[in-house]
Amino acid sequence: MLTLDCPNCGAPVTFRSASLPNRVCDHCRSMLVRSDAGVGVAGQEAALPFDVSPIQIGTRGRFAGASFEVIGRVRWSWTDGSWNEWLCLFEGGRHGWLGEAMGDFMMTFERPLAEIGSAELDRIARGAPAIPGRKAEIDDEELTIADAREVSCIAAEGELPFTALPGWTIYSVDLKAGSGRAASLQREGNEAWFYDGRYVTLADLGATNLRAIEGWTVPRYG
Amino acid sequence: MADAAPAARALSCPNCGGTITLRAAGHSVTVACEYCASILDVSQPEVRLVTRYNEKASRLAIPLGTRGTLDGTEWETVGWMAREDSGYPWQEFLLFNPYHGYRWLIEQRGGWSLGEQLNVTPTGGWGGVTVDGERYQPFFAEGRAVVTDVVGEFYWRVKRGDSVRTDDWVRPGEMLSREVDDREVSWSRSRYLPAAEIAAAFGVSAQGKPWPPLPHQPSPVRPFLKGAIVIALLALAALIVGAVLTTGGRTLWQGSVDIAADGRDQEVTVGPIELTRPYQRVRVVAEVPALSNGWVDLDYTLVDRKNQRSFTASKAAERYSGRDSDGDWSEGDRGATADFAALPSGTYDLVVDYKGNNWVDPSKSGSNFWTFGAEEQTSDWRRGGINAPQANLRVVSRGGAGFGIFFLMLLLILLPLGVALIFHAQFESARRGESDFTGAGDEDD
Repeated sequence: MLTLDCPNCGAPVTFRSASLPNRVCDHCRSMLVRSDAGVGVAGQEAALPFDVSPIQIGTRGRFAGASFEVIGRVRWSWTDGSWNEWLCLFEGGRHGWLGEAMGDFMMTFERPLAEIGSAELDRIARGAPAIPGRKAEIDDEELTIADAREVSCIAAEGELPFTALPGWTIYSVDLKAGSGRAASLQREGNEAWFYDGRYVTLADLGATNLRAIEGWTVPRYG
Repeated sequence: MADAAPAARALSCPNCGGTITLRAAGHSVTVACEYCASILDVSQPEVRLVTRYNEKASRLAIPLGTRGTLDGTEWETVGWMAREDSGYPWQEFLLFNPYHGYRWLIEQRGGWSLGEQLNVTPTGGWGGVTVDGERYQPFFAEGRAVVTDVVGEFYWRVKRGDSVRTDDWVRPGEMLSREVDDREVSWSRSRYLPAAEIAAAFGVSAQGKPWPPLPHQPSPVRPFLKGAIVIALLALAALIVGAVLTTGGRTLWQGSVDIAADGRDQEVTVGPIELTRPYQRVRVVAEVPALSNGWVDLDYTLVDRKNQRSFTASKAAERYSGRDSDGDWSEGDRGATADFAALPSGTYDLVVDYKGNNWVDPSKSGSNFWTFGAEEQTSDWRRGGINAPQANLRVVSRGGAGFGIFFLMLLLILLPLGVALIFHAQFESARRGESDFTGAGDEDD
């Protein structure tokens, strides 16, 4: 853990994970980037629009036997809506993404595309369009492309593995399997990242320190 | 909770200026204004008018913003859609809880169901599909559900006229639906809500008996039938076992009396005989092993020690044998049973009046030297042995149930079962009548 002063406003900012270079200043919403040279300002983050997400920075839970804490978030939008990707720092330093869309949750982890060895995904990663309904075989399981679209960052908060500024646009492909498995491929220019995981519920995660929402009873898990 | 985040956001309709409460901010994409029915886009911070309507909005059975608890979770109604498929209308309320996401409350013909989107895909096909280890039978195929009216907020772009292709599978109490549009395939599962459950949750007076029944509506006599069949089988088994046991009877007293050689009237009193049930049938079984060509008159009187009430029954044991031109013959029985129909409980003494008789064939005079068996004429069974011949007596209690009672009980057990089965068959036939598959929804569990 490292605490520094925000180069823009001087407020103290804390980096909890040594492996995550980005941090949004809670006070002035500057997107800070840490490097060997120190901390610089990469841009200005937008205010997060009002939502009724039950997750917040500091929400904790367990997934596959490992406990995690939510330390960051990116809010994405596309033509027909928007959703949250919450960054979860797991014990041991690994991180995963808790996607929150249309009231559903999915936990995914980044995996190198080379390790997957799917011709369909490799083709998309090289720039081909993803066609909903087509299949991709991953670890002997057939996943179906459910959606493919351009998505834009609306806003971000907390710690992040990349610089996510408003207007940043990438190509995002969602895949699903009948088993509840969920995966996505994200592409920007010549680069692509693959995330693999599955649908979860807050009860599955034993989520605690959930955000309190007026008039609603916070469920007790864990 | 002082630091609780607000649950809703207010916005004003760009068409009519009405104040709209956004209850699932962050998720909602479309709002149909509850005052003028205009469709608004709320996916961006700036609210945009998509389709202008100037209508008096529909009166909803459950107003938006109503909360109710189902399965232990509180839900709030945030949206409402009226849909129809070739003239069959139904309505769907979108329920929301920020911690549990979305559910659907579906009403058709006054019957209600709670639906949820599935993140797993059922396996199988038209022969039936399986999800979470439960098997569903096909019910409707290739329907087309069209949105006819919409109010409130939704997490996708919805408008009147939207249509999806639908297929449905059922099992008692549950329905699986597949909706396909040009973009995606989605599966949902709904559970039939008993009238009392929906009424308690959202205060709507549900019709308890939609007719014809909903495709996944469990037959109301089903729980009764399940129990009743088991109970009837057990009762039947008990009845049969009981009937078998009671015909054998329970021995109350047994012993022997000597029969005098001279054929005089004899009397003996035995007992006590305890009768414990309020009323019972009692049988006296007599057996005279030595009896041959003679008879024994047996008169029984059971006397209640307490009040001297007496009950009588009598039966003779008679046995004859001989030889004629056809060979040996015999008739009669060395045993005799006498029955008392319904004796009240009490302690009884049994008075036995009896008399041993020897039969003299009048056609065989003692002096007829030429007749076969002339010497038999003189053999008197009462004098045959070293000891006096005996009558063995056994008093048995015979239980209550005769065959009439047995069949009456059988009828009482089977009658309600039969009525329930007829009702069940009618219900199932009406339920399946709407299916696109003949014999669909067969219950195999």
